[in-house]
Amino acid sequence: MASHDGRVTAVRVRDLVRRFGERTVLDGLDLDIAPGEFVALLGRSGSGKSTLLRAIAGLDYDVTGSGDLRVPREISVAFQDSRLLPWLRVLDNVVLGIPGDARERGRRALAEVGLAGRERAWPNQLSGGEQQRVALARCLVREPAVLLADEPFGSLDALTRIKMHDLLRELCARHRPAVLLVTHDVDEAVELADRIVLLEEGRIGLDVPIDLPAPRSHRDPLFQSHRDRLLLALGITEGATP
Amino acid sequence: MTHTLAPPARSTLGTPVVATTAARKRRLGPGRPIPYGRALGPLLVIAVWSTASATGWLDPRILSAPWTVVATGVELVDNGKLPDSVLTSLRRAGLGFLFGGVIGTALAIAAGLSRVGESLIDGTVQVKRAIPSLGLIPLLILWLGIGEGFKVVVIAIGVAVTIYIQTHASLTGIDNRYVELAEVVGLNRWQFVRKVVFPGALPGFFVGLRLGVTGSWLFLIVLEQINATSGIGYLMFQAQNYGQSDVIVVGLVVYGLFGFVSDALLRLAERRVLAWRRTMGG
Repeated sequence: MASHDGRVTAVRVRDLVRRFGERTVLDGLDLDIAPGEFVALLGRSGSGKSTLLRAIAGLDYDVTGSGDLRVPREISVAFQDSRLLPWLRVLDNVVLGIPGDARERGRRALAEVGLAGRERAWPNQLSGGEQQRVALARCLVREPAVLLADEPFGSLDALTRIKMHDLLRELCARHRPAVLLVTHDVDEAVELADRIVLLEEGRIGLDVPIDLPAPRSHRDPLFQSHRDRLLLALGITEGATP
Repeated sequence: MTHTLAPPARSTLGTPVVATTAARKRRLGPGRPIPYGRALGPLLVIAVWSTASATGWLDPRILSAPWTVVATGVELVDNGKLPDSVLTSLRRAGLGFLFGGVIGTALAIAAGLSRVGESLIDGTVQVKRAIPSLGLIPLLILWLGIGEGFKVVVIAIGVAVTIYIQTHASLTGIDNRYVELAEVVGLNRWQFVRKVVFPGALPGFFVGLRLGVTGSWLFLIVLEQINATSGIGYLMFQAQNYGQSDVIVVGLVVYGLFGFVSDALLRLAERRVLAWRRTMGG
């Protein structure tokens, strides 16, 4: 965690540039995320959402670019696929890489995501939603200061996704990590985030705080106005704009 | 054929006979397996062999009768010749397989995990792979003589290459997403190797082991028949000189048992170690 200009930030990105060959994907991007803040990152397909997330996660080696990135060491990443190692049992996947005996903590994390009793199962024995919950437990058990999530619910069916939203909200409220959720789903963003940022032409184009009370309802007119505004910014006109 | 001989059964109670006709319908697949069906073929061969021997149609100089073979086997066990030969042969194949396995695996790991290792090792092994191991025999005899060391080395080279090829292919085929995950959860190099690389390469390693063990028996047989003074192959070679077909058959049975038992053991180990694979696809 770093302090600048009197403000404490969990993630601080300044003037970030990332290029793939001729194409500049991120072009002088600035972004701050406060500790405990839930930020959703929206953007059109190919706008560089994943590039930004991978830069923050430190997973971009074969790209050229520059910029200043300040991030804490305790970062967890949730990928679109659950990315469980098929040859490790569920509990061993959760505590993978944690020094010392973390099995008890791992068990608690599994219980938190509703998978108590499945510690000895192989990942292939679980459903897609369950696998993604194991992946969440693997993130949480590290008590991350920052949780980066790259469309973690993208491959789940609609019903499972609703359940996962509730679970993620609950877990974030309890553990208070700073979250950067990459998504293409505007509803998901408005439902979960404290703030939504929109990636446009390599920079943050729109930065909208979402101060809706919990529980957030899709029928709330404020919810819909946020939603419409974001869709408009993404170039989609749908329904009535207020 | 049966459905042309008998008309479809009719229910006397007037209930539909769908189930009956369905059962009569011919299936395109080979149908249900016959219990112990696989043993039938070999048993039939033995039966023909016994009949031919008993009726005197089969000259014992060509092929001894099954009971002669059994009696010879018992006799060879009793006078200690067979156990000695078996131990000698097992020791050669076992040592060759062990050294070859260790070397092949070590080379595969070195080539799979570092670019320097890959540059130095992979090309070299691929060149070696193009040369049949048995083709090295003249050179190796020049260097090592025809003692036990030479035999173990020939087997080890063959096994090492086989295991290297399979293990290396499997190592380099590990999904890059898992490498990324290992970085994200902060595995160090050794943990990465232990938790991701080794388990990920195990399926290929086992393929290599099974091919390697088959290869080690093959090399053993060749080596023991061209220049040996002990072992199963030598026993058979001598029997050939004296026209003892029963001893030759005993040797073949022992080779067969070697191959069968070693493959069964490896398959058992594979099932245990790769238990996570069995759950795939439900």
